[in-house]
Amino acid sequence: MHTSVNGAPSPAPDDPGLSAAEHLRDRLGLTGTKVACGSGACGACTILVDGAPTASCLLPADHLTGRSVTTVEGLDGVHPVQRALAAHDGLQCGYCTPGFAVEASVFVDAWRAEHGDSRPERGAIADALAGHLCRCGAYEGIFAAVAAACAGEFDTEPDQAPPRSDAPAKVTGSARFSADFAPHGAWEGVIVRSTVPHARVLKVSAGPGPDGSPAPLVDLLGEDRVVRYVGQPIAAVAAPTREAAKEFAKAVRVDLEPLPAVTDPGEARAPGAPVLYPTKEERAAAPAYGEAPTPPAPWNGNVRGPGVVSWRGPTAVSRLRAASRRKDPLLVAEEYTTATQVHSPLEPHVSVASWADGDLYLHVSTQSVSKIANKAAKRWDLPRERVHLVTEYVGGGFGAKNSLSADVVAAVELSRLVGHPVRVCLDRAEELTDAGHRPGTRTRVALLAGRDGSLRAMSVDSHGDGGVSVGSNAAVLAALMYGRSPRRTRDFDVVTNRPPGQPMRGPGGPPMAWALEQAVDTMALRLDEDPLSLRRRWDGNPKRQALYQRVADLPLWRDRPRGKRTGRFRRGVGLAAAGWPYLLAPEARVELVVEGGALVVRSATQDIGTGIRNVLGEVVADRLGVSAADLRVEIGQSSSVHGTGSFGSRTTTSMGPAAADAADRMRDALRELSPDVPAEGPVPEHVFKEALAAAEGVSVVGERGRDRWGQLTPNMDDLAVGRGMSGAVHVMEVEVDTLLGRVRPTRCWAGIAAGRIYSERLARNQCEGAVVQGVGYALFEERRDDPASGVVLSDNLEDYRIPGMGDVPETEVYFHEEGFEHVVGGGIGLGEVSVVGVAAALGNAVYDATGWRPHDLPLRPDRLIGALR
Amino acid sequence: MTMERQPTSTVTRPTSTAEAVRELAGGGARPRAGGTDLAACLEVGAVAPGPLVDLLDVPELRGPHWAEDGSVRIGAMTAVAELGADPRLAGAYPGLAAAARALATPQIRGTATVGGNLLQRNRCSYLRNPAFDCFQTGGDSCPARSGDHLRGVVVDQGPCVAPHPSSLAVALLAYDATVRVRHGSGTDSGAVADRDLSELYDGTDPTRDHVLSPEDLLVAVSLPASVPGERAAHLRAAGRSRAEWPLVEAVVRLECAEGGTGPVVRAAVAVGGVARTPLRLPGVERSLVGSLPGRGPGAVVLEALEGLTELCSPLPATGYKVPLLQATVQDAVERALDSPDR
Repeated sequence: MHTSVNGAPSPAPDDPGLSAAEHLRDRLGLTGTKVACGSGACGACTILVDGAPTASCLLPADHLTGRSVTTVEGLDGVHPVQRALAAHDGLQCGYCTPGFAVEASVFVDAWRAEHGDSRPERGAIADALAGHLCRCGAYEGIFAAVAAACAGEFDTEPDQAPPRSDAPAKVTGSARFSADFAPHGAWEGVIVRSTVPHARVLKVSAGPGPDGSPAPLVDLLGEDRVVRYVGQPIAAVAAPTREAAKEFAKAVRVDLEPLPAVTDPGEARAPGAPVLYPTKEERAAAPAYGEAPTPPAPWNGNVRGPGVVSWRGPTAVSRLRAASRRKDPLLVAEEYTTATQVHSPLEPHVSVASWADGDLYLHVSTQSVSKIANKAAKRWDLPRERVHLVTEYVGGGFGAKNSLSADVVAAVELSRLVGHPVRVCLDRAEELTDAGHRPGTRTRVALLAGRDGSLRAMSVDSHGDGGVSVGSNAAVLAALMYGRSPRRTRDFDVVTNRPPGQPMRGPGGPPMAWALEQAVDTMALRLDEDPLSLRRRWDGNPKRQALYQRVADLPLWRDRPRGKRTGRFRRGVGLAAAGWPYLLAPEARVELVVEGGALVVRSATQDIGTGIRNVLGEVVADRLGVSAADLRVEIGQSSSVHGTGSFGSRTTTSMGPAAADAADRMRDALRELSPDVPAEGPVPEHVFKEALAAAEGVSVVGERGRDRWGQLTPNMDDLAVGRGMSGAVHVMEVEVDTLLGRVRPTRCWAGIAAGRIYSERLARNQCEGAVVQGVGYALFEERRDDPASGVVLSDNLEDYRIPGMGDVPETEVYFHEEGFEHVVGGGIGLGEVSVVGVAAALGNAVYDATGWRPHDLPLRPDRLIGALR
Repeated sequence: MTMERQPTSTVTRPTSTAEAVRELAGGGARPRAGGTDLAACLEVGAVAPGPLVDLLDVPELRGPHWAEDGSVRIGAMTAVAELGADPRLAGAYPGLAAAARALATPQIRGTATVGGNLLQRNRCSYLRNPAFDCFQTGGDSCPARSGDHLRGVVVDQGPCVAPHPSSLAVALLAYDATVRVRHGSGTDSGAVADRDLSELYDGTDPTRDHVLSPEDLLVAVSLPASVPGERAAHLRAAGRSRAEWPLVEAVVRLECAEGGTGPVVRAAVAVGGVARTPLRLPGVERSLVGSLPGRGPGAVVLEALEGLTELCSPLPATGYKVPLLQATVQDAVERALDSPDR
């Protein structure tokens, strides 16, 4: 019996142990089908079996025998919903997109057959796509796309190109992610991890390989030979198949001397607790989760800090103490906690490495092509040009994919050892355990208002719970809010034997806002004042002032319910303000080169879903006044000129101007050869074509120029702090089910002030996705650890829950585009500022609905029931 | 990426139940239905690898078979999705259809089977984490009881604290369903036995999630003829709106006089997520007799709901499930009665 795959006969799967996904990807090369969670929760692997959507990661391959299978490749890119997803930008990184497209194609066809060409409600779409997760949070676009396809709007190819240039590759599954590049004959590497929370490793020895000699093994431990958490990489082994590599991994013997461990931050602070880093050298080597270098701070046992940032700090403290003594009603002192949030990009960390003639070839899922290539060259002592790193598409990152992580090191060293290409791909359990997280926090905030309602003093103390890592900055971010009244902020870290954090989208921001923005609302209540009007008085930031003005006129805010709400379902509206520093990458470069009569845009940057590939093409096309279709954008190759890492909200504001500069230089270069090219304004199409024909091989490199008045800091390893901060105001509406303890976000307005917006639809998509991630942070996301061992229990996407289509509010994004005229290009980043205040706005909305002030995240049903019943 | 090769030596594909039972005889082999939970369990080591007997090609195990008296036998290999999609089944057993439509995701429902759903392993994070041993994997303790058990039981029946995960079991319990088992071993070898669904489970046995031996084959579930005038509701309490394992779930069936508009003459209430087995709530059922559709639950019903506190024996972290159980049942009752207040 055969199987029919995409209409063609295909040999029946014969390996009884294979999953259908594995058969399709590895045997048939149909890599459009993605595997992300491995447990049927995320839907990335969805295929049609006899027309029915099926999770192929759980389906035994032999169940395909005699059946008809359709993968995303079989939709041919012409299903209306594929066109609609591209046109409505219902995607970002694109890793989940094939699964969405396959499932939605069935829903759209069935809907139209039953209901004719009409638009389904959001609820019907959410039901149909309940088995799909998009970590980037492109749900607004997906809702719009599916509804439009149901209404028959995409039965033919639309006239306009989609807003995102690489959308067609993503909706058809032809976009190739790093794991899709394993060449035939590649071996699989598996990482051997610590099973104990704290130990000195005495010896690591490989078990026997197939011929009796030791299995190939590389050591991944640090120089101090100490493991400090369950899940820490110790070594890696490789074999021709992953199954065999896992057997080798099981056979690795690790001799160790157990050390006392502490996994609870409270216990870690107690006298006599085991100390993770007893020596100065060990403390200095502790991993850090800050985005910028972590400034020095004192240590006391397992507590690091305080890192203090003050403005008239002693005044603030004495005012707050006096207010506390006299029991001043205008002193708000509250404690807030947040849970550990895990990045969990749907594409896990994965590297494919091979060596040829002393050159290193790498495919890595990374947010920093240039930086990782530099680090690889240094680590393996190679001239930079002998490292060839390619990252065509990245399935999300959110800050977790910025380092020379264990998967890269293991793949490179194993490949050198075994003489084959080696792929190391984390499984979901590894990804959710040891690939980074936003640490939990405990934050105490105190605000004092004067009789006139002015802010008299502020103090914020925050303790970060980053496992073995340090880098708390939630408190210091509060120092940047609400004017210049006296204030003191102190950041502490409490280290425990649990996995390390990594910077995550707006590091420190969401926990800061969760505490500060709710405390500000509490103060408004004490002052008997509208929360918006209090912020308008306290907040000197002109960009947020502009957003506050919009909020005042917003029906969502203006017409919100007032007074005490009763009954089972209670509606409430809350808001929160946020700001974020403006970072830029002064070394950003973009090359334009004429090749084969075409203009090619190149840089060693990468697109993790933000849309920088599109921005580069658009900027160059706009600058030259030509069609973006006349350009080819090639990013993600380390051999290109230096590209910025995709983190710190700095990619677009750095790469965009470099692309514009390159376009100007190319215009000059073309004019020298073809005088018909105008000095400014659009280049007519025929002139452009002739100029390119005459300029074969011409290459220019554009740079990121300096802003007017310069930057606030010098260039620190391609990072500088610019002048001005981005701003955001979120307004969230919720409905609280007081009986079952559930919060349902219904509507959200996101006002973002980041100057001029590049690629508007893509920027909006990113801000919509930030709302989705903020809702996840507020309601669902929580890494759960075994209290005794620190083992991460929530190591799958059923126990670590991210929002689905049915969990997110209808979201409207507004851009205030003024205020960054001093910046080259006029606009700064928005990836981080757009996420900071979301959970806080939701918290304020829950208070508004119920009169109960939530202090601890996430807002689980058990917490609401405990408070409300 | 988890491109796992399931560590499985052989798969046999019988075409009849008799052949399937023969293949399973002697132990060692394991039946495979839709394979969704089995694949996940093999992946994390919650189930030991071994030979599989795949039931996909056994036609006798598929589909509903209606008897003249209006009762139905549903083959164990019937897809979960069919319970919600088959108009006759959904019309006759609305509470079962609603439970089937709410569980897992559309992709899983299309593949997962009735039998597999009833016999799946529980969702305890310790069971599904290779770092731990517990009663279910040959160990001698329950690490969840002393560790993290936020989603654990609130009716503590025995050493294990993982609630039974099957939503269909809750609904079938409310429908007084029986299960047909073809025994593959012992004195019963080859015998076919019908027994109450509740006998599939033993809450005091911490070593397994159902009582069938690996040689037994669950053939079908049977439901009595539908009741005219039934009003039914299913509700799951969970954080996310969809595709989430419930914290508590309830199925309420009300048999009402006058074709559904008159007072309740008989009620069935079953709950899940609270104990090692799905539970019927006889006290609440009795209290519902006499309730009127279109009105809210009366004082006697609310009192019975209050009385559920007596049933509960919460763990340190599951105290919230006491009010949540009451609330979930109350909401399901209100839905079934179509109360104007909700």
